[in-house]
Amino acid sequence: MADQIILNHVTKRFTTKTLGDIVAVDDFNLSVHEGECFSFLGPSGCGKSTTLRMIAGFEDLTEGEIELCGRLVSSSKKNLYIPPEERGLGMVFQAFAVWPHMNVFENVAFPLRIQKLNKTEINKRVAEALHHTSLTGLETVFPGDLSGGQQQRIALARAIVTNPKVMLLDEPLSNLDPKLRETMRFEIKALQRKFNFTIIFVTHDQSEAMAISDRMMVCDMGKIMQIDTPENLYNKPCNRFVHNFLGESTFINVEIRDGKAYPKGHAEQALDLDVPADAAAEMVVATRPNEIALTGPGEGGFATHIEKRIFLTDRTEYLVPVGNQLLKVQTPHRVTFSQGEACCVHLVDPMWYPADDEEAEKERARRQLV
Amino acid sequence: MRKTGGVSADLAAVDGRKRLNMDKTMTIICFILLVIIVVIPIVMIIYNAFFNEGKLEVEMFVEQVTDKKNLDAMWNTLQIAVLTTILGTIMGVFYAWLLGRSDIPAKGLMRALFNIPYMFPPFLGAMAWDMMFNGRSGYINKFLRELFHLSSMPININSIWGIVFVEVSYYFPFVFMQVVSALERMDPTLEESARIAGARQRQVIWKITLPLVKPAISAGALLILTTSLAHFGVPAILGYAKRIYTLPTRIYAVIYNSGGSFDGIRQGAALSVMLVVVVSAALILQNRILSAGSYDIIKGKSMRPTLIKLRGAKVPLFLLAILTLVLIVIVPLVMIILISFLKAYGLPLALENFTLDQYRTVFGMSGTMDSIRNSLFISITAGVVCMFLGTLVAYVVQKIRPKGKGVLEVISMLPYAIPGTVLSIGVILAWSGRIAGINLYNTIWIILVAYLARYLSFSMKTSSAALLQVHSSLEEASWVCGASHTESLADITLPLIRPAMVSGFFLIFLPAMREVTTSILLYGPHTRTLGVQIYTLRDAGMIPQAAALATVAIGIIIILNTIVTKLTKDRKGV
Amino acid sequence: MATVRFENITFRYGSNTVLENFSLEVDSGKIVCLVGPSGCGKTTLVRALLGLIKPETGTITVGDRVLFDAKKRVNVPPEKRNIGIVFQDYAVWPHMTVLENVCYPLKKQRRPKDEIQKRAMHALEQVHMTEYARHLPNQLSGGQQQRVAIARALVVDSDVLVMDEPITNLDAKLREEMLLEIRMIQSRLNATILYITHDQQSALQLCDKMAIMEPDGSLCQYGTDEEIILRPANRFTFEFIGISNFLPLVRENGQLMLDCGEKIPYPDQVADEAKNGGYDLGVRPNDIVFDPQSPIRAKVDSRVFLGSEYNYFLSLGQKQVRVQQSMLDARTKGVANEGETVGIRLLNARFYPSQKGGAQA
Repeated sequence: MADQIILNHVTKRFTTKTLGDIVAVDDFNLSVHEGECFSFLGPSGCGKSTTLRMIAGFEDLTEGEIELCGRLVSSSKKNLYIPPEERGLGMVFQAFAVWPHMNVFENVAFPLRIQKLNKTEINKRVAEALHHTSLTGLETVFPGDLSGGQQQRIALARAIVTNPKVMLLDEPLSNLDPKLRETMRFEIKALQRKFNFTIIFVTHDQSEAMAISDRMMVCDMGKIMQIDTPENLYNKPCNRFVHNFLGESTFINVEIRDGKAYPKGHAEQALDLDVPADAAAEMVVATRPNEIALTGPGEGGFATHIEKRIFLTDRTEYLVPVGNQLLKVQTPHRVTFSQGEACCVHLVDPMWYPADDEEAEKERARRQLV
Repeated sequence: MRKTGGVSADLAAVDGRKRLNMDKTMTIICFILLVIIVVIPIVMIIYNAFFNEGKLEVEMFVEQVTDKKNLDAMWNTLQIAVLTTILGTIMGVFYAWLLGRSDIPAKGLMRALFNIPYMFPPFLGAMAWDMMFNGRSGYINKFLRELFHLSSMPININSIWGIVFVEVSYYFPFVFMQVVSALERMDPTLEESARIAGARQRQVIWKITLPLVKPAISAGALLILTTSLAHFGVPAILGYAKRIYTLPTRIYAVIYNSGGSFDGIRQGAALSVMLVVVVSAALILQNRILSAGSYDIIKGKSMRPTLIKLRGAKVPLFLLAILTLVLIVIVPLVMIILISFLKAYGLPLALENFTLDQYRTVFGMSGTMDSIRNSLFISITAGVVCMFLGTLVAYVVQKIRPKGKGVLEVISMLPYAIPGTVLSIGVILAWSGRIAGINLYNTIWIILVAYLARYLSFSMKTSSAALLQVHSSLEEASWVCGASHTESLADITLPLIRPAMVSGFFLIFLPAMREVTTSILLYGPHTRTLGVQIYTLRDAGMIPQAAALATVAIGIIIILNTIVTKLTKDRKGV
Repeated sequence: MATVRFENITFRYGSNTVLENFSLEVDSGKIVCLVGPSGCGKTTLVRALLGLIKPETGTITVGDRVLFDAKKRVNVPPEKRNIGIVFQDYAVWPHMTVLENVCYPLKKQRRPKDEIQKRAMHALEQVHMTEYARHLPNQLSGGQQQRVAIARALVVDSDVLVMDEPITNLDAKLREEMLLEIRMIQSRLNATILYITHDQQSALQLCDKMAIMEPDGSLCQYGTDEEIILRPANRFTFEFIGISNFLPLVRENGQLMLDCGEKIPYPDQVADEAKNGGYDLGVRPNDIVFDPQSPIRAKVDSRVFLGSEYNYFLSLGQKQVRVQQSMLDARTKGVANEGETVGIRLLNARFYPSQKGGAQA
């Protein structure tokens, strides 16, 4: 598989009135393979949108190089910048950006008219694009008369009609209601299989990113945190931030003594875990509420009791004391314990992180102000 | 159900009678007032154009319509209006784009400056240009002739093109203001997606940006067209000398020449019908050409649009914009002020010819102070009455929604499309003793009635827009809190639309202060308005004196405008 | 705070019957959510409670006070009903400060000035908004505006607080926050809240008790969230409150079979009434687990990783079945691959009489 999009030491600096210089994108290196669906995921202000806009050509970069399909399109060293219209990309925006003064056919035909293709060719290709986005029959309708989902389909049709090799999707599902979001996700994947383009998908919604991507990049505060497949990222996050960002997390502060992990405030009972060899004296054990097994007493694990039972819509939540901390455990409704009942918790393959992370939190709070 | 629309029906079921009665009363008052102010004058024009002493008599009408002079006037009116609209629209769009989308410097300042021509009374502008480029005696003309030893005056402002030039300078802001705000609110991804689709910057402007702001362009162009068709001041000042008439000036001339006789007024009524037909035809035509939809172009995350770098063209375009402003605002202003200090019109503009006498003369005349007082009185009264009446109509149309609300709306908007000259004739016909013996002719009240009809739609529009924003739940919440229907109106609805009512007032007050078109036909010996006074001074050949009063008038307008901006700046509400 | 009782309420718009003999009792000091698809008549019920419309029959009482009685011709006008309401768009008056908004209902009761001031500040205290008393609503966030609306509704010592879809206009994250906010205010004040929504998820998160209305305006089930989730009264409730799979059950040759285009023997116990078939089996996607020993075999069509779970579509005969596998199961028992044939068990199955025209999965 060839690399289709390559970012080489890409950096973008802004000067803002309130906060002075901000490094929006700090030394990004990544390569996206041909035919891959690659997501940029992160909280607002993490640099994902700026990166996408640099790839699209709406922003120039401060340092570094961007290569698209083997062609250099932005380079600070060579002072090279190719405008968006010459990059041969497809792009879909959050607010649809379909042109309200053109009907569906004209919207989709626009890129072809710009290329000055002949009439029969245009008709043929528009019909094909509309067919694949289930818009056939709506050619003469104006976008204002269509639903949000249909408008986003027009945007998709307009993007695929030129058969681009690379498709940039900038939070394309955020303006749709939850049910429609899922359907559109399937449709985007189906289109990708059919037309075989590479996707860059920008979102702040982790479940959406995981559902659609082959690989994804999690970034925060202008830095790349981790790039991997969704399952690897979810199961082996490289730090607390990524762990927390990819799904509800629960952290247990532990002290390591004699190769065993004792939850803080509980000197007698150690967690039933193999402590990694390189563990410091204080560590954080990270797991997720729905990855903790809850059993009756005497079945191994860490013996404790149910402090509180909370009935949620699609699962039951139990708060279980572990040392001086309350551990959140979520189970399907069919697993039932009552308040005060003795039980054991089993942590399945948790992650281990160093105990200090405060500086990062401060910096994040500062950035949120931008 | 039932969230919308259900409200009034539901309430009728609860404390039905009390509320229904109040609604009914308001609706009936509305209809009666609109009939008196708007419907009667219009009916009177049509009646008098075709009937005489109760009998159908079309000879006079046919005679007027086929008269060569009148047909010429109609042709001139059309020519001027169409040219003004086309050129004014191009100019408005160009500067709107320059300020809205390019990286031209000093944008905030430039935006403020570009609104000035909107405040500047066009007929004073025409006066100034006439002083400079009059085909016989214009100062700059004379200067140029001597400089280049020409045999005749190089520029003749007393022509169709001269009129068009002056009208364009003061009407292009109609388009400019609409388009610049549309451009600023537009979602930038609409343009970005066109770049991605392969379009170059230039193609994006032509194929995406301009079509998207077309509704704004169209609305502005429509304003220019109707205003120009009905405009009296500029063609009167620039056209009379060369006997270039438009329909409004022709109507004035016919009535003026007949000494205000009834026959003259009837001829005027016939010409008015002609003018209304021309305006309607133009409106329909414009609708065909620029059939304007309105689209939603303002969704999405707000992101500043990518500004287009003008690069080398930046400085020249900046200078061009500044030059435009100087030419249409500063130059005429300076000219009027200079002339106002002249001992006599025609003397060279040299220091030894300057004096303050003209100001003394003007203020020594009995008419001058009267005219200022009259204008203030009528403008304030018209503003206040229209503010309340317009809000009443808006409330009936938007909130009570009686059966005939469509009719109500149409009636109240009708004068918007009917030229001021025409309205004046209708008002004369209606209120000079022919209906119920009410004779307001030669009193200040007849001007007031005409202003009410002319400006009612302004306040009705702003109040309507504000009322639409007052969601019915805001009123319902107050009922649940224990407020009666009247209390709710007083505590919630009216305070919420108060800012809109106030701006509706100023929207009427400011143009009424400099009005000529309507009042020129209605004034009597003691009821001159400021505009009429300046016009008649000039007409009587007292040009420096007219310039002196014009200077005072501009001063008053600038002061009032400053106060208005200060007042309306920090207002809260919807 | 008091109990709200609707008895035999009937309301018609012309010939269109919105509510017929509707009865419901809202317990004092509880949050009761009235949930139903849009157009089911829940807003009509609220408007009747507020006195904005007049039902044909029935009575409405709050505590001991009769607000409406069709027979005895009692109809207390809206301003005297002492019911607080928070509208969908909050309806906070933008031209008044926060304090003025909250004072307004007291002013309309012509209370003495110092009492108004005192009670309004107290109401603001309860919603933690005292420091914003002099702010105008447009200087506040959506959540803060909602708090002002609540304070305004509470200030006159309302017997009941009605909230009409107060969070529908907000995005998902803010919605969660607002629900927590409402919960906290309720527990602080021990208020009776009638909360109207069409969104069953937020209702389940919020309520003490939930009343589910069917599209025809009848009351379908009334109980705690736990009762409703664990024991849905009928197929409508089951479908309304979550994602569901339905498989028709038939009896053939003395054996109970799942009718999925082809017949698959059903091995587990069924409810007594379903023993003879003619019933649909309803099961939630997260109650379907993989079990190699199970005789019910299905083919994996697709698997999507969603973070906290895997989402599968399986073909069971001709039927498509949706399965959610928790990460715990995935880690301990492994995942199923696309194209693979797996055994599945249907836990917590429920049985509902088949609908005419066949059931859908």
